[in-house]
Amino acid sequence: MKDRIEILASGFGGQGVVRLGQIVGVAAVNQGFRVTMLKSHGTEQRGGYVRTQLVLSKEEIDSPLVEAPDYFCSFSTAAYKQFGHMMKDGVMLYDPATVEIDASKPFRQIAVAAKDTAVEKLGRAIYTNTIMLGALTGATDGLLDKENMLTTMLQIIPKFKEENKKAFELGYSMSTT
Amino acid sequence: MKRYLETGNFAITEGAILAGCRLFAGYPITPATEIAEAMSINLPRVGGYYVQAEDECAAMHMAVGAASGGLKTMTATSGPGFILYADPYGWAIGCEIPIVVLNSQRVGPVSGITGAPGQGEFYNSRYPTQGGNYETIVLAPNSAQEAMELTIEAFYLSERFRTPVTVLADQLITDGLEDISVPETDEEKEAMGLRFAEREFHKGPEFYPPTDEIDVPPVVLGKNTGAMCSDWTPTEEGYDIETVEAHHKHSYRMIYKIRNNKDIITRYETLFVDDDPDIIAVSYGTPSRSVKTAVKKAREKGLKIGMIRPISLWPFPDELFSQKTKYLVVELDYDGQMVREVKRAAPGGSEIHFFGKCGELPTVVEMHETFDKLLNNEPLRPEGWEKEAW
Amino acid sequence: MDKLARKYLRARKIPSTACSGCGLGQCHKALVKALADLDYEVDDIIWGTSIGCSGRQTFATWNGDNFAGTHGRVYPIARGLRIAMPDDMKIILTVGDGDAFGIGFNHVLHSARTNTQMTVLVCDNLGYQSTGGQFGWTTPPGIVTDSSPYGMSEPNWVQPDMDVLKILKEAGATFLARHVSMDGAALVETLKKAVQNNGFSLVHTVFPCTTNFAKNALGSRNAVNIFNWIKDRAAPLGEETEDTIWRTGVYHDASNSRPEFSQALKKQVSDIQRRFQDEGSH
Repeated sequence: MKDRIEILASGFGGQGVVRLGQIVGVAAVNQGFRVTMLKSHGTEQRGGYVRTQLVLSKEEIDSPLVEAPDYFCSFSTAAYKQFGHMMKDGVMLYDPATVEIDASKPFRQIAVAAKDTAVEKLGRAIYTNTIMLGALTGATDGLLDKENMLTTMLQIIPKFKEENKKAFELGYSMSTT
Repeated sequence: MKRYLETGNFAITEGAILAGCRLFAGYPITPATEIAEAMSINLPRVGGYYVQAEDECAAMHMAVGAASGGLKTMTATSGPGFILYADPYGWAIGCEIPIVVLNSQRVGPVSGITGAPGQGEFYNSRYPTQGGNYETIVLAPNSAQEAMELTIEAFYLSERFRTPVTVLADQLITDGLEDISVPETDEEKEAMGLRFAEREFHKGPEFYPPTDEIDVPPVVLGKNTGAMCSDWTPTEEGYDIETVEAHHKHSYRMIYKIRNNKDIITRYETLFVDDDPDIIAVSYGTPSRSVKTAVKKAREKGLKIGMIRPISLWPFPDELFSQKTKYLVVELDYDGQMVREVKRAAPGGSEIHFFGKCGELPTVVEMHETFDKLLNNEPLRPEGWEKEAW
Repeated sequence: MDKLARKYLRARKIPSTACSGCGLGQCHKALVKALADLDYEVDDIIWGTSIGCSGRQTFATWNGDNFAGTHGRVYPIARGLRIAMPDDMKIILTVGDGDAFGIGFNHVLHSARTNTQMTVLVCDNLGYQSTGGQFGWTTPPGIVTDSSPYGMSEPNWVQPDMDVLKILKEAGATFLARHVSMDGAALVETLKKAVQNNGFSLVHTVFPCTTNFAKNALGSRNAVNIFNWIKDRAAPLGEETEDTIWRTGVYHDASNSRPEFSQALKKQVSDIQRRFQDEGSH
């Protein structure tokens, strides 16, 4: 394992970017990681962005900045354009319903049809974020423990447990198959 | 030990309550508001008081007023509120009353950028009130965990030195989330190196001896000691007097109780400074974290770069800057503040350079570019600026 | 030194440091007399003072605990101290007109709002006299001061249509009165009521400044002139004439009708603490 894992999530306000980061962060703490998490809010009214920068390590973390994301959950085309250039060899997860990608980029890009799946399979778009969380967990290939992530998520979002669980599993399968 | 993923605001509150803080006076201001909110929830559960004032000036006065009545107290704010503390800071310094002040620095001057980190109060924290004739104690954490620990240390030092102690944090510490370990047992507290001091009170009625002695407890009102506690120059009994002789004695105590006991206060972190480095990066607070990553990576590439992080900012740890070399001072401001102290402290013939940025941390990439420029003797000119920043 | 002074005041501060002919002594004498009448001991009172003549000349005269605050800020100091100090002690503040009605007015309003126990004796010398004699917020119209050399042109806060005591009443003060320092026994009776209110009391008392106010306004430092000048312009409420500037007496007495700030806070905290201790023990 690398000495530090950098995770970036970005999109517009209200998309659950910070909530996603918080769940991943708490789950990582439960897994025994040291964790830092910075959240930056642009001015949403003027089309700004929300960004969450997470660093996970088994050792004390110095810089809390994400400068070369290992994982990047992109929730908007704007976020993709703004932060995509930092990607070197990481994994980018995006929802084709909201993000237009540049297929020529050298890093791995996984399409997670989170919004459409949420509406089709669960009847409501509010589960989009949980699907993305499942997909991110799957994409880390065991680094983030699946059961621990599920438990943490259900602690932090105590509502609609069955639906969220199902959404998480759907997402998980999207990045692991 | 309890572990959390929580904000620095939460950590500071936990530290304060562990240290025995039983009154917090607040006034809402980004990015310190959450401390007030957490205090309003948590203090009553341990029998403590949250009070909210009509402005920051009143808030700190309430906290100092309660401290003068024997409670351990605290207040927290950001730059625009910090300047309104000038009045009560003076009262607390002059009356020699312990209190802890936290300043979460944002981007200034004035309102500036509210939700982003700055370091513009380096000198304000040294001179938080007017008039001179005093020394101040300022501690600067660079993480949520350290913010908790230094809040506890601030309470400890404020009791021993009978003076306000400022914890100079920034928006990234207070708003950012990190894993935090909160000690629960005495063993855990000791293992973390935490120090605690109980509030005692001066039996009076005389004021304080005109010496650099610490551990003389503060005057406390309401104990029927006939205490006299005022912002006037005091006689040795505490009466107000306007003579240069009395003021000389009073000033001597306010200055030298801190200067002559600096070893109790001084804290710092150094990295790779023992092999005659070509550059020593100097930084305090959150920028020191990306600087540290940059220095470690530069070492991996074989560059001889070291780092100094003052943790106690005031009294300034001059002794850390004994090497004649190139210093690169990295701050979250464009004007360059701590760099002036480094210039003063470093030996003649040293080169002092400055990298300033505001609102976000310097990146590791930026630091590496800067190291390269310095090693090649190129000027450090911020993009779009005609001249070097400092 | 009389018997009261021996019991309540510090020998070192007698005689007072105030100017000869100053009316502050009348204010203090009335207050000490009120405390004596109520059988208070030195240990029952913490006495706070502010900046200016009223503060400087009173600090550390009280034989018990004393404090002096920065200009206008003695009220929030008192609000914090009120929480920390014993419930059965009282806070008394002697402050000036500039302190209470100018620089500290916002803090006075919030002390009134919260009904924090403090008896504020505003010793009003009609402007800023310790700085040489500039106009203040109670300086009568037309009066010449160092900063109103052509006569005071601004309205003031003792005019019947815009009385500062009305503002304070609306702000929540539970005891309000106005006097002139030569009111003697009437002032003592008012102060007794003020101190017995477990809440925010303010007694506005005009006193003569011979050194600066009298010199500028009346052209004379003769103490008798300024004493009579003030006395002639004061009348009890209901007995006003056209020449009355200061209507004296109790303006508002809602003593002990509202919870006191620190005691209400302590009760709430103790309830919360008990609740969480109970929950914690389950």
